[in-house]
Amino acid sequence: MDAQKQDAAIVSLLTQNQSALRLYVESLMPGDSHCDDVAQETNTIIWEKRSDFEIGTNFKAWAFSIARFQVRKYRFKQAKDARLVFCEELEEMIAEEMTDHLDDLSGHHIALQVCLQKLKPADRDLIHHRYFKKTPLKEYAANVGRSIGGLKVTLHRIRNRLLVCVEKRIALSKEAQA
Amino acid sequence: MTLNERDQLIDDLIEGSLSEADFLKLEAEMRVSSEARQAYYSRLKLTDSLRLESSLLIEEESEKTVSIWSGAFRVFMGVAAVLAVVFLGVYGLKDSFEFGTNGVPAEEPIATGYAVLTEHSEAVWVNQPDLDRGDLIPQGPLQMESGLARLELFSGVTIIIEGNAEFEINSPMEMSVLHGKIRALVPTAAHGFRVLTNSGDVVDLGTEFALNVTSEHADMHVLEGEIEWHPTAKQKQLLSDGQSLRWTTTGSPESVAFEPNQFPGLADFERKFVSQRLQRRQAWLDSAAALSTDPRMIAYFPMNESNAWGRQLLDESQSGLDGTVVSARHDADRWGQSGSALNFSPAGSRVRVSVPGEHRSITFYCWARIDSLDRMYNSLFLTDGHELNEPHWQIMNDGRLFFSVKKRDTWPKRQDKHVAYSPSFWDPSMSGKWFQIATVYNVEEQTTTHYVNGRPISEDRISDEFIVDTVRIGAASIGNWNEPTRGDPNFALRNLNGAIDEFAIFSEALSASEIAALYEKGRP
Repeated sequence: MDAQKQDAAIVSLLTQNQSALRLYVESLMPGDSHCDDVAQETNTIIWEKRSDFEIGTNFKAWAFSIARFQVRKYRFKQAKDARLVFCEELEEMIAEEMTDHLDDLSGHHIALQVCLQKLKPADRDLIHHRYFKKTPLKEYAANVGRSIGGLKVTLHRIRNRLLVCVEKRIALSKEAQA
Repeated sequence: MTLNERDQLIDDLIEGSLSEADFLKLEAEMRVSSEARQAYYSRLKLTDSLRLESSLLIEEESEKTVSIWSGAFRVFMGVAAVLAVVFLGVYGLKDSFEFGTNGVPAEEPIATGYAVLTEHSEAVWVNQPDLDRGDLIPQGPLQMESGLARLELFSGVTIIIEGNAEFEINSPMEMSVLHGKIRALVPTAAHGFRVLTNSGDVVDLGTEFALNVTSEHADMHVLEGEIEWHPTAKQKQLLSDGQSLRWTTTGSPESVAFEPNQFPGLADFERKFVSQRLQRRQAWLDSAAALSTDPRMIAYFPMNESNAWGRQLLDESQSGLDGTVVSARHDADRWGQSGSALNFSPAGSRVRVSVPGEHRSITFYCWARIDSLDRMYNSLFLTDGHELNEPHWQIMNDGRLFFSVKKRDTWPKRQDKHVAYSPSFWDPSMSGKWFQIATVYNVEEQTTTHYVNGRPISEDRISDEFIVDTVRIGAASIGNWNEPTRGDPNFALRNLNGAIDEFAIFSEALSASEIAALYEKGRP
């Protein structure tokens, strides 16, 4: 395969696996606002090392191992003002298990779209403000005349409901395919 | 810990709002319980899908602003929505930071470096193949194998370097030279500028001087003003106009003839550079003339000033679809030739074009200089409104390229098109740089590929559901967006804050090697 074709193949694999890669990084450093930076850094390294990758072998496994290393590198740099970091043993488990959860992200997303439609209007509105409009919770709480604590509990319940719905739909569609 | 407590802690962890004590509790639980970990994975995926859904809906939200028009109340809504778009455009980025870090103030964008590579003539850099005009000089040691380069330090110091040279910019007021020839022009504001060598340090007292550093010695020639020479472990000495000195690495002074001519001067450099630049430009114009006979080309605007009035923009393709310049002003092109590009920063700027016909695959190509991405959407090429089968090509405020062809009506509320986003290719440190940007919409392969500077940066597969095999353009704007005009003077701001040098549309998918060849021939 010539270099141009190899490059095109890598670009295509890299784009297909962007969401999975981003989520994999996040699973190892949840709640850290630098997830995107580390994912981006991982992309750069993957691109630099692209000639090491043999087309046809497992791209995800290869990319994730690079991501894992980048997370460690980031930790090392951040060591001084250490944030909440999983202990090594747990991180190892997550790194291993998370890979099984990143196969059908688009199916997951489609299921979520349906489930969002099934929410009560007021609940949908709250989710809408939290994720779509990115209104600070405080501002929204003031607008609807509720406490932040109360909203947090409601948000948690809505997430639970969405989760049950999404899982049910995915199971159904798997059955339908079977 | 109840399941409910556990899941609440997981949500807080994902949102970044978990306390340390709770973190330790949750960690202990996750270590022993596979179910806790499964819950963590599921909740992460849910958050991720919600975020993805939000990024898809944002465009729908903003496009709604144009569909609410008649009636007093609705006009008010329209104005509010337009303001919201402007507000989001300016503060969108800040907003998302605030969201992500729970109220930590937004960070000011930063770039790294102390100097800019303003010009070079055939400079070849070791390990920095992409370093080019307008780039910040990376930190750390640099080696220039051959060629000439001009650096401008943020202190105002201008340095001309001749390869082979190894050096490092340590700060706006200090550089190290391991070996090589440099010439430094130091303005009053940068008195005290220091050059470190193996034999000692030169401290400038306001002037112009030249240095030739080798592994054996350092030669200094003072062209104007004065410098101080601080040899390693020896008394400093003062050198002034017309004086020269050689200092060996073993620490002894030797005399050396005053020969400033062996160093490239600023004027020589400029002359050399200008003539090379004109040659490169001419070479491009020659190949562009051949390009304009390419039967696949539907429109080609080199953006040169076309007539005294200057508002008509000539289409040099075979179709002859001349455009009309609105508000945009002529600007220097990517070779610095004045009047040969269009700047779209003035409010309302655009080039109005009308492209007839139906096309299958399509390629958009331009050379653009982005000064800033302060709109939510920064237009490259947008058809009026957003009707079925029409393409939209723009840049998001986070530096991602956006390309879509509308497949179906948004009503009932559902996804109306596939949007191909590239990863972000631009950040504010690249302000003012010229880029070749191209996007290929390939119906046969069902892909959208974005290119920057001749290289593919992303490729999207378009599902059968969203592939559009008949692309129509009609009335459209380069560098801005025309909304359906329904007698309302409010408009969303989408003009590109920057300039476009060349713009072309092909009614076929250009191959990766063709885009790369266009870049190689057309790079300034």
